[in-house]
Amino acid sequence: MNAILAIARRELDSYFTSPLGWIALCGFVFITGFFFTFFLLQFNQYAVSAAFDPYGSEALDINEALLPMLFGNWAVVLMLMCPAVSMRIFSDDVRQKSFELLLSSPVGSGAIVMGKFLGAMGFLAVTFASTLYQPAVLYWLGAPDPGVLSGSYLSMMLYAACCIAIGMLASAFTQSQIISFMVSFATILVLYLLPWVVEGASSEWVSALGQLGMGAHIEEMAKGLVHTEDLVYFATFIGACLFATQQRVESFRWR
Amino acid sequence: MIEVEALTRRYGDFTAIEGVSFSVGKGEVVGFLGPNGAGKSTTMRILCGCIGATSGHARVGGFDVLQRPHEVKRRVGYLPEVPPLYGNMVVEEYVAFAGRIKGAGKPREAAARAIERVGLSEVRGRVIDHLSKGFRQRVGLAQALVHDPDVLVLDEPTSGLDPAQRREIRELLLDLAAGERTVILSTHVLAEVEAVCERVVIINQGKVVSTARIADLAARRHNVRLRVQHPDDTLLQRLGAVEGVVGVKPFDEGLFEVEAVREVRAEVASQAVASGLLELSPLDSLEDSYLELTRGSGPDPRMMELPS
Repeated sequence: MNAILAIARRELDSYFTSPLGWIALCGFVFITGFFFTFFLLQFNQYAVSAAFDPYGSEALDINEALLPMLFGNWAVVLMLMCPAVSMRIFSDDVRQKSFELLLSSPVGSGAIVMGKFLGAMGFLAVTFASTLYQPAVLYWLGAPDPGVLSGSYLSMMLYAACCIAIGMLASAFTQSQIISFMVSFATILVLYLLPWVVEGASSEWVSALGQLGMGAHIEEMAKGLVHTEDLVYFATFIGACLFATQQRVESFRWR
Repeated sequence: MIEVEALTRRYGDFTAIEGVSFSVGKGEVVGFLGPNGAGKSTTMRILCGCIGATSGHARVGGFDVLQRPHEVKRRVGYLPEVPPLYGNMVVEEYVAFAGRIKGAGKPREAAARAIERVGLSEVRGRVIDHLSKGFRQRVGLAQALVHDPDVLVLDEPTSGLDPAQRREIRELLLDLAAGERTVILSTHVLAEVEAVCERVVIINQGKVVSTARIADLAARRHNVRLRVQHPDDTLLQRLGAVEGVVGVKPFDEGLFEVEAVREVRAEVASQAVASGLLELSPLDSLEDSYLELTRGSGPDPRMMELPS
Protein backbone atom coordinates (compact mmCIF):
# COMPACT_ATOMS: atom_id res chain seq x y z
CA MET A 1 0.00 0.00 0.00
CA ASN A 2 2.84 2.37 0.86
CA ALA A 3 4.45 1.52 -2.43
CA ILE A 4 1.24 2.30 -4.34
CA LEU A 5 1.01 5.67 -2.64
CA ALA A 6 4.70 6.36 -3.25
CA ILE A 7 4.30 5.59 -6.95
CA ALA A 8 1.11 7.67 -7.14
CA ARG A 9 2.83 10.56 -5.41
CA ARG A 10 5.83 10.44 -7.72
CA GLU A 11 3.56 10.23 -10.75
CA LEU A 12 1.54 13.23 -9.56
CA ASP A 13 4.70 15.22 -8.83
CA SER A 14 6.08 14.41 -12.25
CA TYR A 15 3.21 16.35 -13.88
CA PHE A 16 4.22 19.44 -12.00
CA THR A 17 7.92 19.13 -12.77
CA SER A 18 7.38 18.82 -16.51
CA PRO A 19 6.03 21.33 -19.02
CA LEU A 20 3.51 18.76 -20.25
CA GLY A 21 1.63 18.76 -16.96
CA TRP A 22 1.44 22.52 -16.75
CA ILE A 23 0.39 22.86 -20.38
CA ALA A 24 -2.35 20.26 -19.88
CA LEU A 25 -3.55 21.92 -16.68
CA CYS A 26 -3.49 25.47 -18.01
CA GLY A 27 -4.88 24.42 -21.36
CA PHE A 28 -7.84 22.73 -19.72
CA VAL A 29 -8.56 25.60 -17.37
CA PHE A 30 -8.23 28.13 -20.17
CA ILE A 31 -10.42 26.29 -22.71
CA THR A 32 -13.15 25.43 -20.22
CA GLY A 33 -12.97 29.01 -18.95
CA PHE A 34 -13.42 30.25 -22.48
CA PHE A 35 -16.48 28.05 -23.00
CA PHE A 36 -17.83 29.08 -19.62
CA THR A 37 -17.64 32.77 -20.49
CA PHE A 38 -19.03 32.19 -23.97
CA PHE A 39 -22.02 30.13 -22.87
CA LEU A 40 -22.70 32.35 -19.91
CA LEU A 41 -22.94 35.43 -22.13
CA GLN A 42 -25.05 33.53 -24.63
CA PHE A 43 -27.33 32.28 -21.88
CA ASN A 44 -27.66 35.81 -20.57
CA GLN A 45 -28.67 37.05 -24.00
CA TYR A 46 -31.33 34.36 -24.42
CA ALA A 47 -32.57 34.87 -20.89
CA VAL A 48 -33.00 38.61 -21.45
CA SER A 49 -34.81 38.15 -24.75
CA ALA A 50 -36.98 35.45 -23.20
CA ALA A 51 -37.93 37.81 -20.38
CA PHE A 52 -39.10 40.44 -22.85
CA ASP A 53 -40.92 37.95 -25.05
CA PRO A 54 -44.52 39.18 -25.12
CA TYR A 55 -45.80 35.68 -25.81
CA GLY A 56 -44.36 34.66 -22.44
CA SER A 57 -42.16 31.73 -23.26
CA GLU A 58 -40.87 29.92 -20.22
CA ALA A 59 -37.95 31.38 -18.33
CA LEU A 60 -34.63 29.69 -19.15
CA ASP A 61 -33.37 27.26 -16.53
CA ILE A 62 -29.66 27.41 -15.80
CA ASN A 63 -29.63 23.67 -15.08
CA GLU A 64 -31.15 22.74 -18.41
CA ALA A 65 -29.92 25.42 -20.74
CA LEU A 66 -26.41 26.15 -19.48
CA LEU A 67 -24.84 23.27 -17.58
CA PRO A 68 -25.29 20.51 -20.20
CA MET A 69 -23.71 22.79 -22.80
CA LEU A 70 -20.74 23.44 -20.52
CA PHE A 71 -20.00 19.87 -19.54
CA GLY A 72 -20.69 18.56 -23.02
CA ASN A 73 -17.70 20.58 -24.10
CA TRP A 74 -15.62 19.27 -21.23
CA ALA A 75 -16.03 15.78 -22.63
CA VAL A 76 -14.49 16.87 -25.92
CA VAL A 77 -11.62 18.73 -24.27
CA LEU A 78 -10.92 15.74 -22.02
CA MET A 79 -10.83 13.52 -25.09
CA LEU A 80 -7.66 15.35 -26.07
CA MET A 81 -6.30 16.09 -22.64
CA CYS A 82 -6.50 12.62 -21.12
CA PRO A 83 -4.39 10.93 -23.84
CA ALA A 84 -1.85 13.74 -23.39
CA VAL A 85 -1.77 13.08 -19.66
CA SER A 86 -1.58 9.30 -19.96
CA MET A 87 0.67 8.92 -23.01
CA ARG A 88 3.91 9.09 -21.07
CA ILE A 89 2.90 6.95 -18.10
CA PHE A 90 4.59 3.77 -19.33
CA SER A 91 6.09 4.80 -22.67
CA ASP A 92 8.48 7.30 -21.18
CA ASP A 93 9.30 5.23 -18.13
CA VAL A 94 10.28 2.24 -20.25
CA ARG A 95 12.14 4.30 -22.82
CA GLN A 96 14.16 6.19 -20.20
CA LYS A 97 14.93 2.84 -18.52
CA SER A 98 13.67 4.23 -15.23
CA PHE A 99 11.13 1.41 -15.27
CA GLU A 100 13.92 -0.93 -14.16
CA LEU A 101 13.73 0.73 -10.76
CA LEU A 102 10.11 -0.38 -10.40
CA LEU A 103 10.84 -3.83 -11.82
CA SER A 104 13.71 -4.42 -9.40
CA SER A 105 11.69 -3.23 -6.39
CA PRO A 106 9.49 -5.47 -4.27
CA VAL A 107 6.35 -4.10 -5.89
CA GLY A 108 3.91 -6.20 -7.91
CA SER A 109 2.76 -5.19 -11.38
CA GLY A 110 -0.73 -4.55 -10.01
CA ALA A 111 0.64 -2.04 -7.52
CA ILE A 112 2.65 -0.31 -10.24
CA VAL A 113 -0.44 0.07 -12.45
CA MET A 114 -2.62 1.16 -9.55
CA GLY A 115 -0.07 3.68 -8.32
CA LYS A 116 0.35 5.24 -11.72
CA PHE A 117 -3.41 5.34 -12.29
CA LEU A 118 -4.01 7.05 -8.96
CA GLY A 119 -1.25 9.53 -9.73
CA ALA A 120 -2.84 10.47 -13.05
CA MET A 121 -6.26 10.70 -11.40
CA GLY A 122 -4.75 12.95 -8.75
CA PHE A 123 -3.57 15.24 -11.49
CA LEU A 124 -7.05 15.30 -13.02
CA ALA A 125 -8.52 16.03 -9.60
CA VAL A 126 -6.22 19.05 -9.32
CA THR A 127 -7.24 20.13 -12.81
CA PHE A 128 -10.94 19.77 -12.03
CA ALA A 129 -10.47 21.63 -8.77
CA SER A 130 -9.00 24.55 -10.71
CA THR A 131 -12.34 24.96 -12.49
CA LEU A 132 -14.39 25.26 -9.32
CA TYR A 133 -14.58 29.01 -9.75
CA GLN A 134 -17.20 28.30 -12.44
CA PRO A 135 -19.83 26.87 -10.08
CA ALA A 136 -18.92 29.64 -7.65
CA VAL A 137 -19.75 32.25 -10.28
CA LEU A 138 -23.01 30.43 -11.08
CA TYR A 139 -24.02 30.43 -7.41
CA TRP A 140 -23.24 34.10 -7.26
CA LEU A 141 -25.40 34.88 -10.32
CA GLY A 142 -28.18 32.38 -9.85
CA ALA A 143 -29.22 29.18 -8.22
CA PRO A 144 -27.88 26.13 -9.99
CA ASP A 145 -29.01 22.72 -8.72
CA PRO A 146 -26.19 21.20 -6.62
CA GLY A 147 -27.31 17.75 -7.77
CA VAL A 148 -26.84 18.63 -11.41
CA LEU A 149 -23.51 20.29 -10.70
CA SER A 150 -22.03 17.48 -8.63
CA GLY A 151 -23.51 14.88 -10.98
CA SER A 152 -21.84 16.62 -13.89
CA TYR A 153 -18.51 16.75 -12.10
CA LEU A 154 -18.81 13.11 -11.09
CA SER A 155 -19.68 12.01 -14.63
CA MET A 156 -16.72 13.93 -16.04
CA MET A 157 -14.37 12.45 -13.43
CA LEU A 158 -15.51 8.92 -14.25
CA TYR A 159 -15.35 9.61 -17.96
CA ALA A 160 -11.81 11.00 -17.55
CA ALA A 161 -10.87 7.92 -15.48
CA CYS A 162 -11.98 5.73 -18.41
CA CYS A 163 -9.91 7.83 -20.80
CA ILE A 164 -6.85 7.59 -18.55
CA ALA A 165 -7.30 3.83 -18.21
CA ILE A 166 -7.46 3.47 -22.00
CA GLY A 167 -4.45 5.73 -22.33
CA MET A 168 -2.43 3.71 -19.81
CA LEU A 169 -3.17 0.53 -21.68
CA ALA A 170 -2.01 2.11 -24.93
CA SER A 171 1.04 3.53 -23.19
CA ALA A 172 2.06 0.10 -21.91
CA PHE A 173 2.23 -1.17 -25.47
CA THR A 174 4.62 1.32 -26.98
CA GLN A 175 7.66 3.34 -26.08
CA SER A 176 6.50 6.10 -28.39
CA GLN A 177 4.39 8.76 -26.71
CA ILE A 178 2.97 9.91 -30.04
CA ILE A 179 1.68 6.45 -30.91
CA SER A 180 0.31 6.09 -27.42
CA PHE A 181 -1.51 9.42 -27.79
CA MET A 182 -2.97 8.64 -31.22
CA VAL A 183 -4.18 5.17 -30.29
CA SER A 184 -5.85 6.28 -27.09
CA PHE A 185 -7.41 9.34 -28.71
CA ALA A 186 -8.86 7.24 -31.55
CA THR A 187 -10.20 4.67 -29.09
CA ILE A 188 -11.82 7.25 -26.86
CA LEU A 189 -13.33 9.06 -29.86
CA VAL A 190 -14.91 5.89 -31.22
CA LEU A 191 -16.22 4.85 -27.81
CA TYR A 192 -17.59 8.30 -27.14
CA LEU A 193 -19.40 8.52 -30.45
CA LEU A 194 -20.66 4.95 -30.39
CA PRO A 195 -24.13 5.72 -28.93
CA TRP A 196 -24.79 8.26 -31.71
CA VAL A 197 -23.40 6.02 -34.42
CA VAL A 198 -25.76 3.18 -33.59
CA GLU A 199 -28.71 5.45 -32.91
CA GLY A 200 -31.80 4.41 -34.83
CA ALA A 201 -30.30 1.12 -35.85
CA SER A 202 -32.99 -1.45 -36.65
CA SER A 203 -31.24 -4.34 -34.95
CA GLU A 204 -31.44 -4.52 -31.19
CA TRP A 205 -27.96 -5.98 -31.07
CA VAL A 206 -26.50 -3.00 -32.83
CA SER A 207 -28.22 -0.51 -30.59
CA ALA A 208 -27.09 -2.46 -27.56
CA LEU A 209 -23.58 -1.80 -28.79
CA GLY A 210 -24.18 1.84 -27.99
CA GLN A 211 -24.19 0.97 -24.31
CA LEU A 212 -20.50 0.15 -24.60
CA GLY A 213 -19.77 3.81 -25.25
CA MET A 214 -19.16 6.23 -22.42
CA GLY A 215 -21.60 8.80 -23.78
CA ALA A 216 -24.61 6.64 -22.94
CA HIS A 217 -23.66 6.56 -19.27
CA ILE A 218 -22.80 10.21 -18.83
CA GLU A 219 -26.15 11.67 -19.85
CA GLU A 220 -28.29 10.70 -16.89
CA MET A 221 -25.54 11.31 -14.37
CA ALA A 222 -25.03 14.81 -15.74
CA LYS A 223 -28.68 15.48 -14.88
CA GLY A 224 -27.90 14.55 -11.31
CA LEU A 225 -29.33 11.03 -11.58
CA VAL A 226 -26.70 8.56 -10.47
CA HIS A 227 -27.82 5.08 -11.55
CA THR A 228 -26.17 1.97 -10.23
CA GLU A 229 -25.87 0.52 -13.72
CA ASP A 230 -23.85 3.51 -14.86
CA LEU A 231 -21.51 3.20 -11.88
CA VAL A 232 -21.15 -0.51 -12.61
CA TYR A 233 -20.38 0.31 -16.22
CA PHE A 234 -17.61 2.73 -15.26
CA ALA A 235 -16.15 0.43 -12.63
CA THR A 236 -16.12 -2.49 -15.07
CA PHE A 237 -14.66 -0.44 -17.87
CA ILE A 238 -11.85 1.04 -15.76
CA GLY A 239 -11.19 -2.29 -14.04
CA ALA A 240 -10.91 -4.12 -17.37
CA CYS A 241 -8.46 -1.59 -18.79
CA LEU A 242 -6.33 -1.61 -15.65
CA PHE A 243 -6.34 -5.40 -15.56
CA ALA A 244 -5.20 -5.57 -19.18
CA THR A 245 -2.48 -3.03 -18.39
CA GLN A 246 -1.37 -5.08 -15.39
CA GLN A 247 -1.14 -8.19 -17.58
CA ARG A 248 0.91 -6.26 -20.08
CA VAL A 249 3.28 -4.96 -17.40
CA GLU A 250 3.65 -8.45 -15.99
CA SER A 251 4.63 -9.65 -19.45
CA PHE A 252 7.57 -7.21 -19.49
CA ARG A 253 9.42 -9.80 -17.46
CA TRP A 254 9.03 -12.31 -20.24
CA ARG A 255 9.75 -10.26 -23.30
CA MET B 1 24.28 -16.14 -0.67
CA ILE B 2 23.65 -16.47 -4.38
CA GLU B 3 23.16 -19.80 -6.11
CA VAL B 4 22.56 -20.00 -9.80
CA GLU B 5 21.75 -23.39 -11.31
CA ALA B 6 21.53 -24.19 -14.99
CA LEU B 7 19.94 -20.85 -15.76
CA THR B 8 18.68 -20.50 -19.32
CA ARG B 9 16.95 -17.57 -20.92
CA ARG B 10 15.66 -17.46 -24.48
CA TYR B 11 14.21 -14.52 -26.37
CA GLY B 12 12.22 -16.27 -29.08
CA ASP B 13 14.81 -18.20 -31.06
CA PHE B 14 17.71 -16.35 -29.55
CA THR B 15 19.39 -17.93 -26.56
CA ALA B 16 20.86 -15.23 -24.35
CA ILE B 17 22.25 -17.55 -21.68
CA GLU B 18 22.31 -21.29 -21.47
CA GLY B 19 22.99 -23.47 -18.45
CA VAL B 20 24.69 -20.77 -16.42
CA SER B 21 25.67 -22.03 -12.97
CA PHE B 22 27.75 -20.43 -10.28
CA SER B 23 27.52 -19.52 -6.65
CA VAL B 24 28.66 -16.62 -4.58
CA GLY B 25 29.32 -16.79 -0.87
CA LYS B 26 28.33 -14.20 1.71
CA GLY B 27 30.57 -11.16 1.66
CA GLU B 28 32.26 -12.16 -1.54
CA VAL B 29 32.98 -9.71 -4.34
CA VAL B 30 32.67 -11.37 -7.70
CA GLY B 31 33.44 -9.92 -11.10
CA PHE B 32 31.33 -10.87 -14.08
CA LEU B 33 33.50 -10.73 -17.12
CA GLY B 34 32.66 -11.21 -20.75
CA PRO B 35 32.40 -9.50 -24.12
CA ASN B 36 29.35 -7.43 -25.03
CA GLY B 37 26.34 -9.63 -25.62
CA ALA B 38 27.80 -12.53 -23.65
CA GLY B 39 24.79 -12.66 -21.34
CA LYS B 40 26.10 -10.74 -18.33
CA SER B 41 23.20 -8.32 -18.17
CA THR B 42 20.62 -11.04 -18.79
CA THR B 43 21.98 -13.08 -15.88
CA MET B 44 22.01 -10.05 -13.62
CA ARG B 45 18.49 -9.01 -14.56
CA ILE B 46 17.22 -12.49 -13.74
CA LEU B 47 19.00 -12.36 -10.38
CA CYS B 48 17.23 -9.10 -9.59
CA GLY B 49 13.84 -10.37 -10.67
CA CYS B 50 13.52 -7.90 -13.53
CA ILE B 51 13.02 -10.66 -16.05
CA GLY B 52 12.13 -14.32 -15.80
CA ALA B 53 14.23 -17.33 -16.70
CA THR B 54 13.19 -19.87 -19.32
CA SER B 55 14.53 -22.64 -17.15
CA GLY B 56 16.87 -23.20 -14.22
CA HIS B 57 16.92 -21.69 -10.76
CA ALA B 58 18.42 -18.68 -9.10
CA ARG B 59 18.35 -18.22 -5.35
CA VAL B 60 19.36 -15.20 -3.35
CA GLY B 61 19.65 -15.59 0.40
CA GLY B 62 17.79 -18.90 0.09
CA PHE B 63 14.79 -17.40 -1.76
CA ASP B 64 13.97 -18.47 -5.27
CA VAL B 65 13.97 -15.46 -7.58
CA LEU B 66 10.93 -16.63 -9.52
CA GLN B 67 8.85 -17.96 -6.65
CA ARG B 68 9.58 -15.33 -4.01
CA PRO B 69 10.57 -12.29 -6.06
CA HIS B 70 9.63 -9.76 -3.36
CA GLU B 71 11.81 -11.43 -0.74
CA VAL B 72 14.71 -11.41 -3.18
CA LYS B 73 14.17 -7.82 -4.25
CA ARG B 74 14.16 -6.65 -0.64
CA ARG B 75 17.66 -8.10 -0.29
CA VAL B 76 19.13 -7.01 -3.59
CA GLY B 77 20.24 -3.60 -4.73
CA TYR B 78 20.46 -3.39 -8.48
CA LEU B 79 22.19 -0.83 -10.64
CA PRO B 80 21.37 -1.50 -14.31
CA GLU B 81 23.67 -0.57 -17.14
CA VAL B 82 21.69 2.64 -17.66
CA PRO B 83 20.91 4.04 -14.19
CA PRO B 84 17.10 3.99 -13.75
CA LEU B 85 16.72 7.67 -12.99
CA TYR B 86 13.78 10.04 -13.14
CA GLY B 87 15.60 12.99 -14.65
CA ASN B 88 13.21 15.68 -13.49
CA MET B 89 13.40 14.68 -9.84
CA VAL B 90 15.67 16.15 -7.21
CA VAL B 91 18.38 13.72 -6.01
CA GLU B 92 17.04 13.57 -2.46
CA GLU B 93 13.44 13.02 -3.56
CA TYR B 94 14.45 10.35 -6.01
CA VAL B 95 16.46 8.32 -3.52
CA ALA B 96 13.70 8.65 -0.94
CA PHE B 97 11.21 7.41 -3.53
CA ALA B 98 13.44 4.42 -4.24
CA GLY B 99 13.58 3.80 -0.48
CA ARG B 100 9.81 3.93 -0.21
CA ILE B 101 9.09 1.41 -2.95
CA LYS B 102 11.89 -0.86 -1.79
CA GLY B 103 10.42 -0.93 1.67
CA ALA B 104 13.22 0.84 3.54
CA GLY B 105 12.08 1.88 7.01
CA LYS B 106 12.12 5.67 7.34
CA PRO B 107 12.81 6.36 3.67
CA ARG B 108 14.02 9.94 4.19
CA GLU B 109 16.69 8.94 6.68
CA ALA B 110 17.67 5.92 4.60
CA ALA B 111 18.00 8.21 1.58
CA ALA B 112 20.15 10.67 3.52
CA ARG B 113 22.43 7.82 4.58
CA ALA B 114 22.74 6.44 1.05
CA ILE B 115 23.43 9.90 -0.36
CA GLU B 116 26.11 10.47 2.25
CA ARG B 117 27.58 7.06 1.54
CA VAL B 118 28.08 7.64 -2.19
CA GLY B 119 29.31 11.19 -1.70
CA LEU B 120 26.35 13.08 -3.14
CA SER B 121 25.70 15.37 -0.19
CA GLU B 122 26.69 18.51 -2.04
CA VAL B 123 24.24 17.90 -4.91
CA ARG B 124 21.37 16.37 -2.96
CA GLY B 125 19.08 19.29 -3.74
CA ARG B 126 19.77 19.35 -7.47
CA VAL B 127 17.71 18.04 -10.35
CA ILE B 128 19.15 14.76 -11.64
CA ASP B 129 19.08 15.86 -15.29
CA HIS B 130 21.51 18.67 -14.44
CA LEU B 131 24.15 16.34 -13.01
CA SER B 132 27.29 15.03 -14.72
CA LYS B 133 27.47 11.42 -15.77
CA GLY B 134 29.66 10.48 -12.82
CA PHE B 135 27.19 11.96 -10.37
CA ARG B 136 24.28 10.29 -12.13
CA GLN B 137 26.04 6.99 -11.72
CA ARG B 138 26.36 7.73 -8.03
CA VAL B 139 22.66 8.51 -7.81
CA GLY B 140 22.10 5.09 -9.37
CA LEU B 141 24.31 3.57 -6.69
CA ALA B 142 22.45 5.44 -3.95
CA GLN B 143 19.20 4.00 -5.30
CA ALA B 144 20.67 0.48 -5.14
CA LEU B 145 21.91 1.04 -1.58
CA VAL B 146 18.98 2.83 -0.05
CA HIS B 147 17.32 -0.21 1.50
CA ASP B 148 20.66 -1.48 2.83
CA PRO B 149 20.62 -4.70 0.78
CA ASP B 150 22.73 -7.77 1.54
CA VAL B 151 23.54 -8.16 -2.12
CA LEU B 152 24.58 -5.54 -4.63
CA VAL B 153 24.28 -6.31 -8.32
CA LEU B 154 26.03 -3.71 -10.44
CA ASP B 155 25.91 -3.84 -14.21
CA GLU B 156 28.95 -2.06 -15.62
CA PRO B 157 29.07 0.58 -12.92
CA THR B 158 31.99 2.40 -14.53
CA SER B 159 31.07 2.29 -18.21
CA GLY B 160 31.07 5.61 -19.98
CA LEU B 161 32.92 7.43 -17.22
CA ASP B 162 36.18 9.27 -17.60
CA PRO B 163 39.27 7.80 -15.89
CA ALA B 164 39.00 10.04 -12.83
CA GLN B 165 35.31 9.24 -12.31
CA ARG B 166 36.01 5.58 -12.90
CA ARG B 167 38.61 5.62 -10.19
CA GLU B 168 36.23 7.34 -7.78
CA ILE B 169 33.51 4.77 -8.42
CA ARG B 170 36.02 1.97 -8.03
CA GLU B 171 37.11 3.31 -4.66
CA LEU B 172 33.49 3.63 -3.68
CA LEU B 173 32.91 0.01 -4.67
CA LEU B 174 35.84 -1.14 -2.55
CA ASP B 175 34.35 0.78 0.33
CA LEU B 176 30.90 -0.74 -0.21
CA ALA B 177 32.29 -4.23 -0.59
CA ALA B 178 34.05 -4.07 2.74
CA GLY B 179 32.09 -5.93 5.37
CA GLU B 180 29.31 -8.44 4.99
CA ARG B 181 27.90 -7.23 1.73
CA THR B 182 27.96 -9.53 -1.28
CA VAL B 183 28.71 -7.79 -4.54
CA ILE B 184 28.43 -8.94 -8.14
CA LEU B 185 29.66 -6.52 -10.72
CA SER B 186 29.97 -6.87 -14.43
CA THR B 187 32.53 -5.08 -16.48
CA HIS B 188 34.80 -5.50 -19.41
CA VAL B 189 37.58 -3.52 -17.83
CA LEU B 190 39.97 -6.16 -16.58
CA ALA B 191 41.91 -3.86 -14.30
CA GLU B 192 38.71 -3.17 -12.44
CA VAL B 193 38.09 -6.80 -11.72
CA GLU B 194 41.60 -7.18 -10.39
CA ALA B 195 41.30 -4.09 -8.26
CA VAL B 196 37.93 -4.86 -6.71
CA CYS B 197 37.04 -8.52 -6.97
CA GLU B 198 38.10 -11.65 -5.15
CA ARG B 199 36.76 -13.97 -7.77
CA VAL B 200 35.89 -13.79 -11.41
CA VAL B 201 33.22 -15.54 -13.45
CA ILE B 202 34.00 -15.40 -17.14
CA ILE B 203 31.00 -15.75 -19.39
CA ASN B 204 31.01 -16.05 -23.15
CA GLN B 205 28.22 -16.60 -25.65
CA GLY B 206 25.75 -17.30 -22.87
CA LYS B 207 27.86 -19.85 -21.03
CA VAL B 208 30.15 -19.74 -18.04
CA VAL B 209 33.57 -20.60 -19.39
CA SER B 210 35.60 -20.17 -16.23
CA THR B 211 35.45 -19.22 -12.60
CA ALA B 212 38.69 -18.52 -10.82
CA ARG B 213 40.03 -16.70 -7.80
CA ILE B 214 41.94 -13.56 -8.62
CA ALA B 215 44.59 -14.66 -6.12
CA ASP B 216 45.13 -17.89 -8.06
CA LEU B 217 45.44 -15.96 -11.27
CA ALA B 218 47.88 -13.56 -9.64
CA ALA B 219 50.04 -16.46 -8.50
CA ARG B 220 50.68 -17.21 -12.11
CA ARG B 221 51.60 -13.61 -12.71
CA HIS B 222 55.31 -14.35 -12.97
CA ASN B 223 55.05 -15.52 -16.54
CA VAL B 224 57.05 -13.40 -18.97
CA ARG B 225 57.17 -12.93 -22.69
CA LEU B 226 60.44 -12.11 -24.42
CA ARG B 227 61.71 -11.48 -27.90
CA VAL B 228 65.31 -12.03 -28.94
CA GLN B 229 67.21 -11.22 -32.11
CA HIS B 230 69.03 -14.58 -32.52
CA PRO B 231 66.97 -17.41 -31.18
CA ASP B 232 68.75 -20.75 -30.79
CA ASP B 233 68.25 -24.03 -29.00
CA THR B 234 70.75 -23.28 -26.26
CA LEU B 235 68.68 -20.31 -25.19
CA LEU B 236 65.76 -22.64 -24.63
CA GLN B 237 67.92 -24.83 -22.39
CA ARG B 238 69.45 -21.88 -20.57
CA LEU B 239 66.01 -20.39 -19.85
CA GLY B 240 64.73 -23.76 -18.72
CA ALA B 241 67.58 -24.02 -16.27
CA VAL B 242 66.62 -20.82 -14.43
CA GLU B 243 65.27 -21.65 -10.98
CA GLY B 244 61.50 -21.23 -10.82
CA VAL B 245 60.90 -21.63 -14.54
CA VAL B 246 58.53 -24.49 -15.22
CA GLY B 247 58.14 -24.20 -18.97
CA VAL B 248 59.33 -22.32 -22.03
CA LYS B 249 57.26 -22.03 -25.19
CA PRO B 250 59.06 -20.88 -28.33
CA PHE B 251 57.07 -19.01 -31.00
CA ASP B 252 57.96 -17.57 -34.41
CA GLU B 253 60.36 -14.66 -34.88
CA GLY B 254 62.29 -15.16 -31.68
CA LEU B 255 59.29 -14.86 -29.38
CA PHE B 256 59.26 -16.93 -26.19
CA GLU B 257 56.83 -17.32 -23.36
CA VAL B 258 58.31 -18.36 -20.06
CA GLU B 259 56.09 -19.88 -17.42
CA ALA B 260 57.45 -19.34 -13.93
CA VAL B 261 56.36 -19.81 -10.33
CA ARG B 262 58.44 -16.95 -8.93
CA GLU B 263 59.88 -13.62 -10.04
CA VAL B 264 62.41 -14.58 -12.74
CA ARG B 265 62.71 -11.51 -14.92
CA ALA B 266 66.27 -10.59 -13.91
CA GLU B 267 67.66 -14.09 -14.50
CA VAL B 268 65.75 -14.57 -17.73
CA ALA B 269 67.06 -11.24 -18.96
CA SER B 270 70.67 -12.07 -18.18
CA GLN B 271 70.34 -15.37 -20.03
CA ALA B 272 68.67 -13.76 -23.01
CA VAL B 273 71.04 -10.85 -23.42
CA ALA B 274 73.58 -13.12 -25.12
CA SER B 275 70.99 -13.91 -27.81
CA GLY B 276 70.21 -10.26 -28.40
CA LEU B 277 67.29 -9.43 -26.09
CA LEU B 278 64.82 -7.05 -27.74
CA GLU B 279 61.98 -6.96 -25.28
CA LEU B 280 60.87 -8.55 -22.07
CA SER B 281 57.43 -8.09 -20.56
CA PRO B 282 55.37 -9.68 -17.84
CA LEU B 283 52.33 -11.59 -19.04
CA ASP B 284 49.05 -10.51 -17.59
CA SER B 285 47.51 -13.78 -16.63
CA LEU B 286 43.95 -12.50 -16.21
CA GLU B 287 43.96 -10.77 -19.53
CA ASP B 288 45.49 -13.80 -21.19
CA SER B 289 43.03 -16.26 -19.80
CA TYR B 290 40.19 -13.90 -20.55
CA LEU B 291 41.23 -13.52 -24.16
CA GLU B 292 41.80 -17.20 -24.54
CA LEU B 293 38.41 -18.06 -23.09
CA THR B 294 36.43 -15.55 -25.09
CA ARG B 295 38.35 -15.85 -28.31
CA GLY B 296 36.52 -15.26 -31.55
CA SER B 297 33.73 -13.17 -30.15
CA GLY B 298 33.48 -9.44 -30.17
CA PRO B 299 36.24 -6.88 -30.36
CA ASP B 300 39.46 -7.02 -28.39
CA PRO B 301 38.65 -6.07 -24.80
CA ARG B 302 41.84 -4.09 -24.59
CA MET B 303 40.38 -1.74 -27.15
CA MET B 304 37.26 -1.31 -25.08
CA GLU B 305 39.18 0.14 -22.18
CA LEU B 306 39.47 3.37 -24.09
CA PRO B 307 36.79 5.85 -23.06
CA SER B 308 34.18 5.88 -25.78
